[in-house]
Amino acid sequence: MPETVRKTFVSLLVAGSILAGTSHYCAAADEPDAALIQRGEYLATAGDCVACHTRPGGKPFAGGLKIATPMGDIVSTNITPDPDHGIGAYTEEDFEKSVRHGVRKDGSYLYPAMPYVSYSGLTDGDVKALYAWFMHAVKPVAETPTETSLSFPANVRTAMAGWNMLANHNPPETGDSATFEKMRRGRYLANALEHCGTCHTPRNFILSEKQDQYLAGGPLDGWYAPNITSSKTSGIGDWSEDDLVQYLQTGAVPGRSQAAGPMGEAVEHSTSHLTDADLHALAAYILQVAPQEEEPGQKPRDSFGQATAQPDIRSGDLTRIDDVTELKGGAVYDANCAACHGYDGAGASNRYVPSLFSNSVVGASRPDNLIMTVLYGVNRTAGKTHAFMPGFDGHSDVQRLSDAEVADVVNYVMAQYGNGNPHVTADQVKTFHKK
Amino acid sequence: MLRMSRRDVLLAGMGAAVASVTAQAAEPQPAVSSDVTEAAQFLTLSLRLTDRETLSPAIGSALYARIVQAVPERKAQISQLYTLMRQSHFESAQELAIAAEKADPAFKDVIHDIMTGWYRGVADQKVVVYRSALMFDITKDAVYPKTYATGGPFYWTSKPPEVPLPTGAPGLSPSKFVVEPT
Amino acid sequence: MSSEQPLSADVVIVGSGVAGSSIANELARAGISVIVLEAGPRVDRQHFVENFRNLENKPSYQGPFPAVPWARHPPNQMTPNEYLHTTGPDAEAYQQVYLRMMGGTTWHWAGCAWRYLPSDFELRSRYGQGRDWALKYEDLEPFYYQAEVMMGVCGPDPAKEDLGSPRKQPYPMDALPISYAAQQFRKLIAEKTPWRVVHEPQARNTRPYDNRPTCEGHNNCMPICPIGAMYNGSYSVYHAEAAGARFVPNAVVYKIERDDANKRVTAVHYFDPDKGSHRVTGKYFVIAAHCIETAKLLLVSADDKSPDGVANSSGHVGRNMMDHTGVQVTFISGDKALWPGRGPLETNVIDNFRDGDWRSERGAYLVHMVDDNQVDLATSLAISKGYVGKELEEQIRYLASHTVRLFSHNEGLADPDNRLTLSKTNKDILGIPHPEVYYKLPEYTVKSCDHTRGLFKELIGLMHGRDEQWTPGYFPQDHPAGSTIMGVDPKDSVVDGHCRTHDHENLFIASSSVFSSVGTGNITLTVAALALRVADTLKKELNHA
Repeated sequence: MPETVRKTFVSLLVAGSILAGTSHYCAAADEPDAALIQRGEYLATAGDCVACHTRPGGKPFAGGLKIATPMGDIVSTNITPDPDHGIGAYTEEDFEKSVRHGVRKDGSYLYPAMPYVSYSGLTDGDVKALYAWFMHAVKPVAETPTETSLSFPANVRTAMAGWNMLANHNPPETGDSATFEKMRRGRYLANALEHCGTCHTPRNFILSEKQDQYLAGGPLDGWYAPNITSSKTSGIGDWSEDDLVQYLQTGAVPGRSQAAGPMGEAVEHSTSHLTDADLHALAAYILQVAPQEEEPGQKPRDSFGQATAQPDIRSGDLTRIDDVTELKGGAVYDANCAACHGYDGAGASNRYVPSLFSNSVVGASRPDNLIMTVLYGVNRTAGKTHAFMPGFDGHSDVQRLSDAEVADVVNYVMAQYGNGNPHVTADQVKTFHKK
Repeated sequence: MLRMSRRDVLLAGMGAAVASVTAQAAEPQPAVSSDVTEAAQFLTLSLRLTDRETLSPAIGSALYARIVQAVPERKAQISQLYTLMRQSHFESAQELAIAAEKADPAFKDVIHDIMTGWYRGVADQKVVVYRSALMFDITKDAVYPKTYATGGPFYWTSKPPEVPLPTGAPGLSPSKFVVEPT
Repeated sequence: MSSEQPLSADVVIVGSGVAGSSIANELARAGISVIVLEAGPRVDRQHFVENFRNLENKPSYQGPFPAVPWARHPPNQMTPNEYLHTTGPDAEAYQQVYLRMMGGTTWHWAGCAWRYLPSDFELRSRYGQGRDWALKYEDLEPFYYQAEVMMGVCGPDPAKEDLGSPRKQPYPMDALPISYAAQQFRKLIAEKTPWRVVHEPQARNTRPYDNRPTCEGHNNCMPICPIGAMYNGSYSVYHAEAAGARFVPNAVVYKIERDDANKRVTAVHYFDPDKGSHRVTGKYFVIAAHCIETAKLLLVSADDKSPDGVANSSGHVGRNMMDHTGVQVTFISGDKALWPGRGPLETNVIDNFRDGDWRSERGAYLVHMVDDNQVDLATSLAISKGYVGKELEEQIRYLASHTVRLFSHNEGLADPDNRLTLSKTNKDILGIPHPEVYYKLPEYTVKSCDHTRGLFKELIGLMHGRDEQWTPGYFPQDHPAGSTIMGVDPKDSVVDGHCRTHDHENLFIASSSVFSSVGTGNITLTVAALALRVADTLKKELNHA
């Protein structure tokens, strides 16, 4: 490629990303080639670094996001190439130690909210590409997020050294990851980059992922990352590879499931940007993961319910404008949900709004994700599609439901369209409030 | 909508006679069965007047209760209209309506009440059903009941179905059309 | 009642509709202390949605909102009315409806968010009619944009469809795609007439915006959007509260207290529903209580110092009542099925009669082809024609798919004789008099309506229409304006170009009541823009002090 053309290509590439106009930060002398930077960008997207290293409304990779853990909130750090506030002073070796081994430049250990036990599986070549991209294409941001302050013993960073020793590390891959055959590429994407297990694998008493229950599901900041093993009843073994590709690309498979909360973010920032080949590799790998059964005789989460067909026999009575008494489950549904999800639960005819039957969130045995969805809604952009449902918590502009109303409508929806009434109480809903 | 099958309808149509005999045989509470009988008669009458094979018995009972509550003489009138229907064979709602108005002009108001009930979902100027009113059933290929639109954003840009000019005649004499003030 | 903490703030706002709540939000976000006193209650969307479904008379926009006794609003547009009493030769044409509750009347508007034309502010100097405003379009332009961003307004690309009001920025959201029915109407007008149909700018989401969803075409903007895709004042109340403003519901202000010199307002007094009286002090006061209630409050506050009412040295409080009077016709199109009622209610407008030299003779107007679901009306009509059974169903389908409704907004004109006064005979449970309005349509408006009827007849012909039903007489469009008119001369106006009362230096009015002319579009966006300009003035003065 002639030099001028390549330069144009690079600047177009950069301008097209969220990091527009950053090329002048690159030191001309040691500028790596554009292909390496481009590869690094793709890897950073696949690794979804931005998800944790950017706070809501903040600058990309400047950190500051609070991540709730059983030990307390961990605040993500600035990983822009700013020398004082970010990782600008990191050498490639320093970078490699953090990403693959959880050791900072100053020698202290990172908190395991950073999924370095997953990233440890990265190939040398991919670490190099990531480093090149972070140092040369990310815009430096001169701000330091607040320090993480945890309770004992986790507040002693050296204690993390012990954790680091005990935790299960992903063994590093070798060779050129771009040339891996499909299943190996899929495993590499799932483990070394997308770090699916960080959320979907339950953790043991030291909060290390239980490898014998790989992808069997785990709680996450109010949400529940479900069992995505190949179990036909407890997992997603009834999904086809194309289903899973569609889910990762768009965030929704009508009649099966849709992504909200952290998975919505993962789709938005990461999986929707993967190539078709990578998505198929990732899907194929996930769908052959050893099945983990939950309960015998269980039905798949997306197999419950059907359209309901009750006539809407009414009182014909009106209430005065100051009547803001709580409604009961069916009435909460009719007044707040039926407009979009249909009085019959079938959703929109063009699938813009999902049906509530044949829906993994409603058919799950745990009500967690339905409660979170009712409280905080859905806000997910994949490609040109912006899926949005307003939340109905105490800050909603659309309708502020009480905890009792949220509990009631969750019970109603799961009884009508899901796996039976979970008997959620108002007090339980309260525990899902964001702090 | 919960609909009766054609067989259920025939059963209900034959009536109520069968149902009430059975009810009496089973349990000695004739008061209950008389309401059941009236509602079943109302439903049978409604099937003829709507030219339909199925209607929701639950809606029928709710409409009947409202209609006779608003105008007590409707009870006897509906029963008489039912008898009139039973006395001859009417092929259509239109035939029955023509015969009814001829027999007694008061039947016109009764039939208006029944039509307003099923099609608008309104009786005694109160909403008995909203989205389940038949007017929405017969237009569901084109429009949604307000507040229950589930076509997704911008569904409205698509071309709705064409509707031919109707050729059928009315069964009743026309009335003054009054638009309610807003 | 006196045991509580005295209420006091930098700025005390009366009314929580679009005007009051947007000022509250702006000021609170700037760190200024704010109290909002709302006569009506805090409310909930879900109950209104259910009320609508339980309402028999679905076209009644007030229907789902049964008022509280301490802050009544007109129950309907009927004359005589239980609350707003209208008299005069055109009493029926001024039977306005509005809502007294958190968020105000924007709970049931159609979201039409027009900027006025530059000429609307200069009616007297350009056309020799009515009055000029004490501000120009350019003064308001930045606030129009601020209001559009606040509400979330969608509209056409000015390069493709210039609506006549110069813009410095594009609309915050892309125009709403119009329905099949509106597309056919637009095509017909383009092909068969010299006029055009434009995309109406609307405070309605064409994408997720401000944590509210995209419009899904429930066709129920009036009386209640079931999903919050359309802006209403309650969002600004919520945002103001989140920014620290204090919202006090069920606080019916009945007195505006001034200092000895009668130059500054010192407090407002309100009744709670049990008629307990409370005094609220502040540095600045904004009355943002709707055109009718604002004038009523100023008049009710009459005392020895101001025997004709507060801010009323000119005698113009309550005068110059204007509206967009409507002409309406419904007919059956002889062309192909249109199926109105798919999508939002008001999306398309013939805007050729907004401005022209003829405005020296007759008022301007907008024409809407209302995209209203006609199934219920078709059913009532077909039943009244005597249809039953299969034939009834055919009729309903035909009428519902071929019914066309046209209506207009015809420009009123300031006339001091059209006047709001306090009822001498009717009082509410707190002892506050009901409002009474004398109304005679200005000749200017009558001529405009006559012109509209001619246009409608032509359109009915073009659509091979039959069975036309004209709404008798003239009907109100619920755009009351003028009751505290703006002007440069304190002798014949109530507020200046910044909506500050001529009489009291710390008293502002944010309402369509300040309009000097009623303009050529729906009033709400201009109300919001004027309110945001008031907020800007207050921010500057408070920060300077």
